[in-house]
Amino acid sequence: MSENSFRVGTVTGRISMISKNSLRAGTVFAILLATLILTVAFPDSPEQMVNDNSVFVAFIFLLMIAYGAKLYLNHEKIVSTTDIFLIISLGLFLWELLLGKFALLDSFIFPAPAKVFMVFQTDTKQMANGIVSSLEILLAGYSLALVFAIPIGLYAGWKKRLFDIIYPIAKTVSPIPATVYLPYSIVLLPTFRSSSIFLIFIGAFWPILVGCVYGVFSADSRLINSARILGLSDYQMIRRILLPAALPSIFSGAMIALILSFITLTVAEMIAATSGLGWYIQYYHQFANYYNVIAGMILMIVVVIGIMNVFDRVQKHFLRWHPVHGEGGGPTFSS
Amino acid sequence: MTRIKFPSGMALNFYGGIKTATIDLKSISLSYGNKGTSHKALSDVNLSIGNGEFISLIGPSGCGKSTIIDITSGLRPPSEGVILLDGAQVKGPGTDCGTVFQDYSLFPWMTTFENVCFAIEHSKKAGTHKDIEKMAQKFLDLVGLGKFKDVYPNTLSGGMRQRASIARIFSMGPKVFLMDEPFGALDSLNRIYMQDLLLHLWSEGDQRKTVLFVTHDVDEALLLSDRIAIMTPSPGSIKEVVEVPFSRPRHRKDLSIDPNYLALKSHLLSILYGEMVEEIEKQEKELEGFV
Repeated sequence: MSENSFRVGTVTGRISMISKNSLRAGTVFAILLATLILTVAFPDSPEQMVNDNSVFVAFIFLLMIAYGAKLYLNHEKIVSTTDIFLIISLGLFLWELLLGKFALLDSFIFPAPAKVFMVFQTDTKQMANGIVSSLEILLAGYSLALVFAIPIGLYAGWKKRLFDIIYPIAKTVSPIPATVYLPYSIVLLPTFRSSSIFLIFIGAFWPILVGCVYGVFSADSRLINSARILGLSDYQMIRRILLPAALPSIFSGAMIALILSFITLTVAEMIAATSGLGWYIQYYHQFANYYNVIAGMILMIVVVIGIMNVFDRVQKHFLRWHPVHGEGGGPTFSS
Repeated sequence: MTRIKFPSGMALNFYGGIKTATIDLKSISLSYGNKGTSHKALSDVNLSIGNGEFISLIGPSGCGKSTIIDITSGLRPPSEGVILLDGAQVKGPGTDCGTVFQDYSLFPWMTTFENVCFAIEHSKKAGTHKDIEKMAQKFLDLVGLGKFKDVYPNTLSGGMRQRASIARIFSMGPKVFLMDEPFGALDSLNRIYMQDLLLHLWSEGDQRKTVLFVTHDVDEALLLSDRIAIMTPSPGSIKEVVEVPFSRPRHRKDLSIDPNYLALKSHLLSILYGEMVEEIEKQEKELEGFV
């Protein structure tokens, strides 16, 4: 890629880049097409017989459309998009070929993709309920953590005396997995929902607090001096100066908190829930329905990708001024 | 020689009457560190700056030039001594002093326009939102950044950032300007441009503002100042204050062939370098003590 961008200005360079990219794009489509033909036209291995492969076929078509749309809409990240689609389509192809057609591994534990994807049709309602239930708990706990941790963190970072107390405590407590509080939260709180929300709140609170306190504490003193000259009130100082100055650090804390929240949620659901994504996997594991388990895992991956995508967008918006996270990256204007 | 043409905005008349102030540093000392190992950064610094006077502080790095700016602006209290702004003691930071730092005067999370608006709003020199925005636009136009008002500082070049910083403090309408090596990080062409811009803005209007300008560039000090205070390090103190007798407006080309200019420059350099050589010798002796 580097050599391409190097020559991007010249006509031949541009042509070679287009042809190279269309070659890569062609590979993605070719693999997806091969997977499709393999699924439809060739007989399954006797152990992996499925009577309906329509959902898997639909999924392959969906991937093609999604990739085509990406190519059409997003010219800048074309290479990384292509690489990701290449890995996904290659994975699907090998899965179908090695497990679906040749049944190289135990067909009970490692089912064919067509069988797994059927679950998305038969279990749609249960899965949708699971996503809603999981996201509700996740969002409630995580938002509570943000709402409490950020103001406390900003104030504690600003007042030296509070900082000296809170920062060591937060740093010590934050690595403790929130699930250690599970026994008590289940006993003390009335429902599974409330205790899960509480666990996620606790798990997410500390990393956000640490990020926030540290962000304020390590804010550039020259910027703070620049602000002090303006004679700002405490509130204005925190809102207009310390919050934005600490924002990059808050976001890195919030990212860790989000990952921890998801882990906490899944574990809690596996232990004590009656719905949700973690519960879904755990439930069908008890019946040894491995195609449900794998479908649940795929669903969870998709949900995580979605959440992270939203997070990245939010971060990019709020840090648009930042030289590293923002759009820019060093001076673009000069005179 | 072509002179750069700056727009004439009569910027300083925005505030009706133009206010300025005298600055008096009276036997300022500063020590920091723990008991026993305290380090004296400044020792008995005295300096009086009159209304509308442009004074430069020059000295080797580490001599406490920037510390004097911090103390004068009220950001850091001195261990001993007082700072008087128009006879009244400075007890904390305030908008009477417009301070420009080397590269950190703008908030990176605000656009240039928001930065200037924010400064005007908090220096309480203008009432309504509309007035503030109008004023900010005018000052940005004045430094030639009108077109770049909606971009974030990190996408601007160093020179443009400093122009925005200058627009920012002029828009605040402070009584005095404190500048801590504002052009130190710029390349020489940009620096020439900025020096001319600063002089242009400063000398416009009927009443000039008082300026305390820190630099380590002797030529810059000679071009800009009415007087130059030379500092020596460890502990930082003012060794000598010299008058710069050249009439204004000054032109670089004329100055560079003026024998008085050359004599003054060589005098300043000999003081600075003399101190530097002594300092290096002192450090070498200390090192020998360890070996």
